[in-house]
Amino acid sequence: MKTRRNRKNLNLNPTGDPWSPWLHVDIALVLSSIALAIIGAFMVYSATRGNDPDSYDRAYLNRQLLFLVAGVVAMATAAYFPYRRIRDWVPAVFWGGMFLLLLVLTPLGVERNGTKAWFEFGSFQLQPSELCKIAYIFMLANYLERFNGRLDARQLGNGLLLGIIPIGLILLETDVGTALVFIAITMGMLLVAGAQTRHIFVLTVVGVILSALVWSSGVLQDYQQDRLTSFIDPASSQTEAAYQQTQAQIAIGSGGLTGQGFGQGQQTRGEFVPEQHTDFIFSVIGEEFGFVGSVIVLALFAIVMWRCMRTARKSPDLLGTLICCGVLTLFAFQMFQSVGMTLGIMPITGIPIPFVSYGGSSAVSCFVGVGLVLNIHMRRYQVV
Amino acid sequence: MSVSSRYLPQSHRLRLAVLAAVAISLFVPLIARLWYLQVIKETAFVERAADNTTETIIELAPRGRILDAKGRVLVDNRASILVTIDKEEMSTVAADDLQDLFFDLATEISRSGNLTKVQEIDSAYRSNRYGPFAEVPVVQDISEELQIYLAEYSYKFPGVNTTVTTVRDYPYGSLAAHILGYVGLLSEEEMPSVALKEKTYLANDEIGKSGIELFYEDALRGTPGTKVVTVDKFNNILEVNEEIPAKAGSDVQLTIDIDLQALAEQELARGLAIAKQQPTKFEEEGVVIFNAPAGAMVVMDPRNGSIVAMASYPSFDPELFVSGISNDDFDELTDPGNYLPLLNRAIQGTYPPGSTFKPFTAYAALDTGLIGSRGILSIDDFFYDEGVFLIPSCEGGTCRFQNAGEAAYGDVDLRLALTYSSDVYFYNLAASFDILPGFDLESVQVAAKSFGYGSRTGVTLAGEGSGRIPTPASRRDAYRENPEAFLTGQWLTGDTLNTSIGQGDVLATPLQIVNAYSALVNGGTLYAPNLGQRILDPITGETQVEFAPRILKEIFLPDAFSDPILEGLAAVTTWRSEIGTEGTAYNAFKDFPHEQWPVSGKTGTSEKQVENALIADYGLFVGWGPNPDPEYVAVVVLEEAGFGGQVAAPVIRRYFESIALERVPAFLSQAEKDEIAKEQAVKSSLNPVTEMENTNEEDSSS
Repeated sequence: MKTRRNRKNLNLNPTGDPWSPWLHVDIALVLSSIALAIIGAFMVYSATRGNDPDSYDRAYLNRQLLFLVAGVVAMATAAYFPYRRIRDWVPAVFWGGMFLLLLVLTPLGVERNGTKAWFEFGSFQLQPSELCKIAYIFMLANYLERFNGRLDARQLGNGLLLGIIPIGLILLETDVGTALVFIAITMGMLLVAGAQTRHIFVLTVVGVILSALVWSSGVLQDYQQDRLTSFIDPASSQTEAAYQQTQAQIAIGSGGLTGQGFGQGQQTRGEFVPEQHTDFIFSVIGEEFGFVGSVIVLALFAIVMWRCMRTARKSPDLLGTLICCGVLTLFAFQMFQSVGMTLGIMPITGIPIPFVSYGGSSAVSCFVGVGLVLNIHMRRYQVV
Repeated sequence: MSVSSRYLPQSHRLRLAVLAAVAISLFVPLIARLWYLQVIKETAFVERAADNTTETIIELAPRGRILDAKGRVLVDNRASILVTIDKEEMSTVAADDLQDLFFDLATEISRSGNLTKVQEIDSAYRSNRYGPFAEVPVVQDISEELQIYLAEYSYKFPGVNTTVTTVRDYPYGSLAAHILGYVGLLSEEEMPSVALKEKTYLANDEIGKSGIELFYEDALRGTPGTKVVTVDKFNNILEVNEEIPAKAGSDVQLTIDIDLQALAEQELARGLAIAKQQPTKFEEEGVVIFNAPAGAMVVMDPRNGSIVAMASYPSFDPELFVSGISNDDFDELTDPGNYLPLLNRAIQGTYPPGSTFKPFTAYAALDTGLIGSRGILSIDDFFYDEGVFLIPSCEGGTCRFQNAGEAAYGDVDLRLALTYSSDVYFYNLAASFDILPGFDLESVQVAAKSFGYGSRTGVTLAGEGSGRIPTPASRRDAYRENPEAFLTGQWLTGDTLNTSIGQGDVLATPLQIVNAYSALVNGGTLYAPNLGQRILDPITGETQVEFAPRILKEIFLPDAFSDPILEGLAAVTTWRSEIGTEGTAYNAFKDFPHEQWPVSGKTGTSEKQVENALIADYGLFVGWGPNPDPEYVAVVVLEEAGFGGQVAAPVIRRYFESIALERVPAFLSQAEKDEIAKEQAVKSSLNPVTEMENTNEEDSSS
């Protein structure tokens, strides 16, 4: 095809070239992810503005909008450089990320809610584990691509070894939720990269046994165990975790079909749900916009995931497919896990809803993920 | 051609499909759960959210104040800090820790000045009048310092809170305690009755228990307000959704005058103290000790039936009830050995009226015509009183009756019979009622009842006694009920004789006596005595309800009847014959300013029948003045104190003398006294003392 000759043309003024990457930006993906982020920003505002109508607190809103802008810039940047060229930089970025994960365990890191996962710069925090997600996806895709879609046991083992590094470091932060995200990403990518069915079966069994061993070994603190189990019967438990989940369900349930309206949620205004602007922000959506609004938010996620899957299928190479699948798994797992814990059907693991929850690291990381998918989508006609 | 599948083998497309299927399947439980929470269970969660976020706050309304006739505040409200225990929170504390906690709490409270026992806290906490989630009041009236301390060290005292409440305040101390009464926590027995009331009551509410507090409960009680508010997690109020403001209770203005009330209480106490100093009498029947332990005094305005003063001794300090009275204190106040300080003897004590009853026997004789044209003698006819009266053709029981001390007064007409208090004259009348055909045996009883004896006066206080006017029928009933107490169920002539001089089974409350005399001196209008004058708006002070004098009836009392009686009674305080016979209260009223303030009165000395014991007579005196249109009628009863003319009349004399000479001292509240003391301190500090100090300094320097 004629156009493929112009594959090195990265001119942002692609007049006359119908195959120029910038003509193939996935508008639906961009719009739905930004829509989620904007909804999120207003939910953060509703959750944090306080109750004084004369002087609502806009600090969180302003910062979240700032994160949104930063995210969109990061997304554009991630889409700008052809992903096959970025791959040369990936190991450096990944190992740099691993270094940050180590560094955060030193006294330079800051502990919050029992988890030591942040660097603090003035009033801003940086959570390296969030940023490492994307680097890890790219790194793993980069490694798995070379086996052309069929992994033998050793290749699978190497892939797992690569995964164990960040997962281990993050578990050292005692951030079980983020570790689970990495595990989910690893599993999803190994599946697509060609792991054999029996290997997957063995891995699952080993995973279950390991989990059981960890559970009974006493490595986890009581409150951590409690967070993981209280969702089963929150009424029986007196802990903070059970309270949080109960209050979140009251908020969501009282939203009804159409919700109480923006800024009108009684539970939200009374700040009954701890972390209602971050991990439990779905309670605000449920209370103020009801079933209809909740389903719209889920639908936006469905669009994002659909576009990721579509790009994975249209990718010109396995690397692109694997990156898309990693990003898709990341979004799918985090959405399901954090919405599910707010609804009381998943344990509390303390991970944010992509795009929606308050937090800069998460926003940037998610938008970089979208940027990579866009990157692949834009260049789907360019032969390797 | 499809651009999507250039490199992907079929197996990868399958794997992607698996991943897609997993991703899609994730939405199923989420949406199902959302549907369950938001559509199926919506109502339940809306309710729970409302439970969480809305709260109804009851705003207690202050009780109305009680004022005296001149508007001085007798009962006020003040803020008091209350220690409460949150039962729900406390239930999480282990039993051992609980005892330690209560011990620490009692120690801290006691250290701050309110001696508090651990058991008091414990029993308040365990009291079953509070539900498992209640805030139980434990100790009232703690200091502000302690409140701050408890807040600072709240981790040491989980579940212990403090709130500010309003409690009753008594600027004049125990003055008029019996009239004012006291308030207390609503008891379980009272709950059904308050359920019907217009103003709502809650379990922890206070209610009037006695006196004016009880009688005017409906007016005094404030209407509690409610406030429905939205709160946040920390119970901060976000907004007020609905508010019914609390309405303070109305003020009640009494007919009581503080100064006259205080004077009555002082004179009553002084009268008892003086009576107590009388030497013990050794008689044939035994030893008579003048204990003078108790008494009552009532002062009334005969022109409208309003009560000016009402005293009962011994009294109590209503302040004891403010913090919830302790069991020990309450037992002391209700101990017969302490002569029942809570008892308002002015309305609840029933006494044989003795000779104070005679004017009504005289009225009976005049009214029936026994004295008069168709009777045995006329008003001015003399009857020879030889000191002894023998019942003609006596059928049994006592047949020989005598004057006190067998005094023979010689020739007495109706007036002199009253002046000297000749029993024999009245025995003669009573015997005639009993024996003479055409006269009703119960004439005295009929007359006494028409003046209000034997039934409640209807005073605006609860718990009034009704006294007793014995009749042949009532004697029969009493005998049937308790044959042991009487020799016979038969009504004998002796009973009529005893009744005619206010003895035997005749019983009257001091209030009944003063009320009957009011009717006698005001021309026959019998009032239901009023203690309440008006109900006032607590904020504007405007009159909401004015209580008019309540006339019970107009007694048939022509001047022809009342004049001789009142003339006889006027002489009680002033008459002394050339031969030395004198009115029964002549001595007591010697040198009284009779010219300025003509005063009349009637003494009474009555025997209280007590089984197996000989006790001193009860001294009574009823006085009124200034004649001819008296403004005050006063009665005093001194228990176990001796002769009315000797012990009771001087009480009224001193009381009236203060009024007549306009020397009623102003009774000051504690605050007013403090104010004066302060002024004097300022004055004295401006005086030479400072100069002295200056000169001293100069001296030392030089």
